[in-house]
Formats: sequence, structure tokens, C-alpha cells
Amino acid sequence: MALLPFLVVALLYEIIPLIMVIMNSFQSDAGTGITLENYQTIAEKLLYQKAIFNSIRISLISSLGGIVVAFLGAKAIAESKGKIANLFMTILNMVSNFAGVPLAFAYMVLLGNAGFMVHVGQKLGISALADFNLYTSDGMSMIYIYFQIPLATLLLVPAFAGIRKEWKEAVALLGGKEGLFWRKVGIPVLMPEILGTFSVLFANALAAYATVYALMMNNISLLPIQIAGSYVGEVKTRPGLGGALSVVMMVLMCLMILLTNRMSRHFQKGGNPS
Amino acid sequence: MAYIEMKQIVKKYGTTSVLKQINLDIEKGQLVTLLGPSGCGKSTLLRCLSGLEEVTSGKIFLDGQDITELEPRKREIGMVFQQYSLFPNMTVAQNVAFGLKLKKKSEGEIREKVKNILEIVGLSQQADRYPTQISGGQQQRAALARAIITEPKVLLLDEPLSAIDALLRRSLQNEIRRIQQELNITAVFVTHDQSEAMVMSDMIHLLYQGQIEQSAPPAEMYLHPKTRFAASFIGNYNIYTDVQFHQMTGLKLDREMLVFRPEAVMFCDPGRTEMNSYTMKGTIKSEIAHGNVLRYTVDVNGVPVNVDTLFQGEERYEKGQECYLKIAEKDCISY
Amino acid sequence: MKKKTKATTFLMVLIMAYLLLPLVVTIVYSLFQKWTDIVPEQFSLGSYVIILQDKEFLLCIVRTLAACVIPIGITVCIILLAMFVTTVYFPSLDKYVQIICMIPYTIQGVILSVSILSAYIRAGSFLGNRLVMLFGAYSVIIMPYIYQGIKNGMSAINVKVLTEAAEMLGAARMYAFFRIIVPNILSSIVVSALLAVGIIFGDYVLVRNLTGTSFQNMQIYLYQTMKSDSTKASAVFVIIMLITCLITAVTLYLKNKEREK
Repeated sequence: MALLPFLVVALLYEIIPLIMVIMNSFQSDAGTGITLENYQTIAEKLLYQKAIFNSIRISLISSLGGIVVAFLGAKAIAESKGKIANLFMTILNMVSNFAGVPLAFAYMVLLGNAGFMVHVGQKLGISALADFNLYTSDGMSMIYIYFQIPLATLLLVPAFAGIRKEWKEAVALLGGKEGLFWRKVGIPVLMPEILGTFSVLFANALAAYATVYALMMNNISLLPIQIAGSYVGEVKTRPGLGGALSVVMMVLMCLMILLTNRMSRHFQKGGNPS
Repeated sequence: MAYIEMKQIVKKYGTTSVLKQINLDIEKGQLVTLLGPSGCGKSTLLRCLSGLEEVTSGKIFLDGQDITELEPRKREIGMVFQQYSLFPNMTVAQNVAFGLKLKKKSEGEIREKVKNILEIVGLSQQADRYPTQISGGQQQRAALARAIITEPKVLLLDEPLSAIDALLRRSLQNEIRRIQQELNITAVFVTHDQSEAMVMSDMIHLLYQGQIEQSAPPAEMYLHPKTRFAASFIGNYNIYTDVQFHQMTGLKLDREMLVFRPEAVMFCDPGRTEMNSYTMKGTIKSEIAHGNVLRYTVDVNGVPVNVDTLFQGEERYEKGQECYLKIAEKDCISY
Repeated sequence: MKKKTKATTFLMVLIMAYLLLPLVVTIVYSLFQKWTDIVPEQFSLGSYVIILQDKEFLLCIVRTLAACVIPIGITVCIILLAMFVTTVYFPSLDKYVQIICMIPYTIQGVILSVSILSAYIRAGSFLGNRLVMLFGAYSVIIMPYIYQGIKNGMSAINVKVLTEAAEMLGAARMYAFFRIIVPNILSSIVVSALLAVGIIFGDYVLVRNLTGTSFQNMQIYLYQTMKSDSTKASAVFVIIMLITCLITAVTLYLKNKEREK
């Protein structure tokens, strides 16, 4: 009936491609039927191991950094009412659209080899800035953290609506300071949302392509670059390998989701009142 | 043949029976109430009549026609829901006109009818307002107008006043009853509030656990509840087991329970015995004014008895005071 | 209390500064010809003049925006139809519709682009057409947002009661859904459609992998320009940011208007 168009589109552009990717991963690029050789290649070749390791590393770092900043930012928004909070939210919304090629470009202007901050660092003698190399995995984590912050903050803001001021008042009356409240009550209560946001951040970072490509093209060892590289490019396409790499990426995302789910269940005593 | 006949209605959700063999007749032009506690099935029965729920088995006849298999929109039945049923994107006037528009009536006719009905329900000033701009009571009046403007055969009301505050509820009860009688509409009203049912109905059907406990006009149901449940639900009956009765009067009861109304038991002079009455001696435990009724709770040998008198303000008993009560046998009902 | 407000304000300002820094620096970069020292030199709007007169660039903008319209239209229609069926006839299917709509969250970007590519590159004329693949991909990546928007809109109004009331007044179910429910969730649909515009506008990976450089959207244009002329690229950047900010501003405005109601 009326479900048909929806199912057709979903099937064509979501389900079938997904299935094919998984199937491809088990097919040899040389064309000889079902095989695990793609996975073997990944496990053996240093290039792919590095790519996976780098991707996980940068995703974890940026997600952690992003969520810490986002927590503080969302808390700040929740605790103030005025114009500044509104402005902050507006800027967060604006900047969340910033990711991809434009972001890479802006960072090149800012922290590239001839970048503004680099000049400042050279002039003022701050070696951290002067010697900053954007074009490494570590340099790029700056950019990753940058685009994680708005996303994470916007996701966490609604969660703070669930912190009742009565809890804070109870802790204060019982003699506790604010830091104690957050350590013992606030953060544990918010853990499900924090963990959920963390897993979204992780997936976001793991799959980031445009920003990285704009800076480094294919010259960096990260998972999304390798995946795209096996399908598109000058060299012969290797859909089998690309499929296997894609499966690895999806598995990593799912693992993170399962992990955060499991952890958050630990914090959800007696179910969610929401 | 009654105007509405519901025969052998059974409604099951999976293996749970919500309605068990309901048989119900409704006469034309009457306002009947389906009364009962939550979960008794009254709303389900109403929704079966409307067609929004399908019966598992049984038949429904309206004006001689079998409507059991008919879709809701073909049954010519109007319905007022508990709340939030007005379309938020339309004004009051547009909401009310909706049903007529669907029937493809002419612009002029629609305008005329909307004007009239809004006057009847007292919303002429609010015609161009949106539902979010009017109060809960006004919303329900608009919902009422919308439901009756198409002149349906039956009007169903599913706890329409439950979300309205108490003071407003009384005047809306009167208004609904007035409109129903003026326009001579057959109406079926669902509520859990027994005083509401008493005030509005020509006939009350008391439901409990999916079955009809008793069907009677309000006065009859109040004075002669047929089952224990009815006695506990209607009014404020004093309810006693045979053990308690023995404690109070020293007499033996050959039934399990005995009930009587708090206004039927009276204070009397000591030492007087009357024919066909039970007399008891007790002590005043408490005295609470419920509006115009003064309720005493009297301790009779360890058993509490509620005694209601009109609050005249003159002679009042005091806490701890000794007193004598009498209740006519005919005012007692035993099960 | 005072101290706390100061601290929170300071924190927010700090984060805002961090977020705005690259933006501001690049804007400044686009407005000056020379910037080798701390202070830029030679203020000029020359770059802007050049690109705004570049037909290719203007075509790019149009192309990018046009690419938003079709997928959004498709997705809104199909999800509305699907949710019509699940709300009115089969509520139990809603779970599956939700799962299907949420999957793109995880397979976004790279994986979706390459999987669609490998699936249809050798297919016949219609499915193998690059633009068709692109629009199909876009329709899928915006599904979570459109679905969520429609869902949120529907939970704000009491769908069940409204549909039943319309039914009792004589309306058929489809009439009730499209004439009563949809108008009431229109603002939610518009907000999520704008979100989708933002996403499609900012997409690079799908366009590049599916159409190579044959379909030049704004992001590809920026990428190509930044390899050659960075001053010009920064002007392009600013224009992109302006358009994106405009979209965001309109979205926020509509969201707030909705909340006031």
C-alpha cells in the first residue's frame, strides 16, 4: 500500500547497498568466490592495522575531549537564562554545520604551515604553536575535537533538563558542596545520556571523511580514507577489500554502541522516568 | 424494539474479556449513563457502540438497523471525547462546521447552522478563536457543538467532564442535560462519578468487571442497590457483615451483609423501641460538616455507623456523648 | 551565586571564542590581500567581486540548492505515507520504520557512498545514473531527521483523539490524516526539512564518491579552489558560511515560533 514507496527507497539505497558491502567483503578481488582473504589482508598488512588503530585513537580522543567540553558547556547553558546562553546556543547551531571541507580550509588558514596562529606562535615564541603540524594525526585531532563540541553540546543540553534543583538543594542542606553534588548525583544520573552522546561522537569521528580528505587527500592512514580509496581512485578498485574495511568500521561502531548501552544500563536504576 | 439495542456483546483483548455478554436497550430521547469504576468496561462499551472498537461477538442495532459491521463514519453517531479533540489548526467555527463540510452542505446552510449551534452552547463570541485560545470548558462546549450540529442519531460522551475543574463541572452538567432535552437527542454518557450520573441521567447502567450490575433510574438505584457492589459504589452506604450486625444489635442476620443509608438512620430517645426497627446505643466518635450535611460517626459496640443529618446549626451532639440510634427494617437491604 | 554566574558566563564565552576563531580568521583572510605578519594588509573585496561574477560559481550555488529540493521532497512524501500506515493501521510496524530510518545514522558518509556506488555502478541506465544514485543517497541520509521531525510533531498533538474525532464526524482515514494531522505538524516538517537542507548543502563525501567531479556542488568547488587560490577560496568559504548561517537562522526562528505556540 502506502508503505511501498518508503520501502522501495529504503531497500534500494540503504538495505541493498549494505548487504552488498557485507557480501563483497567475503569476495576476493581477483574474482575467485567466497573467501576470508580480505579480512586476512587487513589483519596482516601494517597499512590497514595502522589505519584502524589511528581511527580508533583519534575517535576516542576527540570524543572524550568533545564530551568533557560539551558537559561543561551544556551545564553552563542549563544554569544560565540570559542572552549569553541564547547566543551560545545559536552559535553552536551555526557551527555544527561547519564540518567538512570548509572546516579543513579554515584550519589551514589558522594552523596550517603558514597559518595565523603559527605566525603568532613564532612571533611570541610559543613553540607549541610555532611548531604545530596540522598535517599529522595528532594535529588533526584539534579539528576533530572542534566539530565534536557543537554536536555533543547540543545533544547534552536537553539532558540537563532532567536535573532537578531539588536534588541540589537536598545535597546543600545535607552539607555537600557543588562539586560533590555533580560527582555523586548529577553525573551518575546523566550517565545514560553522556554515554549515548559519546557513542554518537565516536561514530561521527570514525566516519569523518570530508575534513580529512580536504587536508590530506589519500596521504593519511585513517579508515574512511582507506575505504574510499579502495573504491574510487586511480588504482584498480578493490571492492572486496573496501567491503571488509567497511564491515570493520561498522563493527567498531556497533561495539561502541553495545558497550555504552551495557554501561548505561548500570546507571539506570529503576528505569527512566522520562 | 428499543432505539438502540446491544445484544450479547463480548469484547476480548487476546484472552482477557473486557465485556462479558452485555445486553442493553436504550430508548429514544433518553440520556443514559454507563457508570462504573475504572476498568469496568464502560468506555469500551461506548467505543463499541461508536464503531471505534470492534466487538468480538454480539450485535448492535440502531433505529432498527444492524450496525455491527458498519464503519464509525457511516453510523451517524456523534461523539464528544474527554479532551483535546478539537482540531488545533482550525477555529471554533471551522471545527464545528467540519462535519457539515464533509456532507457537502452549502456555504449558506453551514454558516446558518454554525451560528445557531454556537448560540445554543454559548460560544458565539469565540467563533473565530483557536482551541488553544479558549478554556477547557469552552473547548468541550465547542466539541459538543461540533458533534451535534450534524444531527446524529445518537450522541456519545466519553467522560467529557473528567478533565474540567469541579466548579465548572456542575454548570456544564446542567448545560449538557438542558441541550440534550431541548433538542431531544438520544445520548449515552460515560462517567466514573456517581453523583454526576445521578444528576444527569434518565437511566443508569452500573458496570463492574465487564458486566452490568444493575440498570435503573437514579432514584431507584440510590434507594435500592441490587448488589453489594452497587451498594458500595452508589451513595455513602453503611455496609456491615453479619458479625458486625450482631455486635451492633445483638440480633442474628440470616444473610451475609446488611447495608443502610446514613440519612435513614436517626437519633432517637433512649429506651424507645419501635416495631420493625433496630435500636442501638452508641457514643459519638466524630462530627464532620460536608457542606450542608453534618456527618456523625457513632461507635456502636466497636462498629462505626455514619449518621447524616441536615446541617441546621442548632442542636449538635458532642464528641464522646452517649446517644441512641434507630433504623427502620425497611430501610435496610441485605445480601 | 554571583561568582557562579560569572564563571559560567566566562566558560561559555571561552568556548564561543574557540569555536568562532577559525571562522573569524578566515573571514579576515578573505578581506585582505596580504597576511604574512600578525596584522593583515591591503583590505580589498576583490575576491568577492571575482567569484560573484563567476558564472560557474553561481551555477554551483543553484545546483547545490536544487539538489536539496528533490531528495527532501521524496523523503518527506514517502515517510509521511509510511507513517500514515503505521499510525492508522499498523502501529506495531512503527518500530521497524523507526529502525530503517535510524540506520543511516550509523552508515552515513563513506560507507553509504561506496556501498551505493558498488551496488549500482554497473546497473542499467536509470539506477546506474550518477545523479539518481546521488539523490537516492541523499534521500536516505536525511531520513533520520525527517522521521524524527514528523514523529516529534505528531507527539505534540494527540493523533489518536484527533483521528477518531474526525472519523466520528464522517471523515475517511486518509482524509483525516492528510487534512488534519499533516497541517498540524507542518511546522515540524519544515524545521526538519531545513535541517536536511543544511546536511545536503554541507555534503562532500557522497558527491565526490558518487559523481566524481561531474556534479559540482559548493563543497567540491571550495575544495578545488583551495588547492589553487586560497584568497579566492576564503571568499567562497565566507559565502558558504553565510548561506549555512541563513539556513540555521531561519530554522531557529521557526523552532522558536513553534515553541511560543
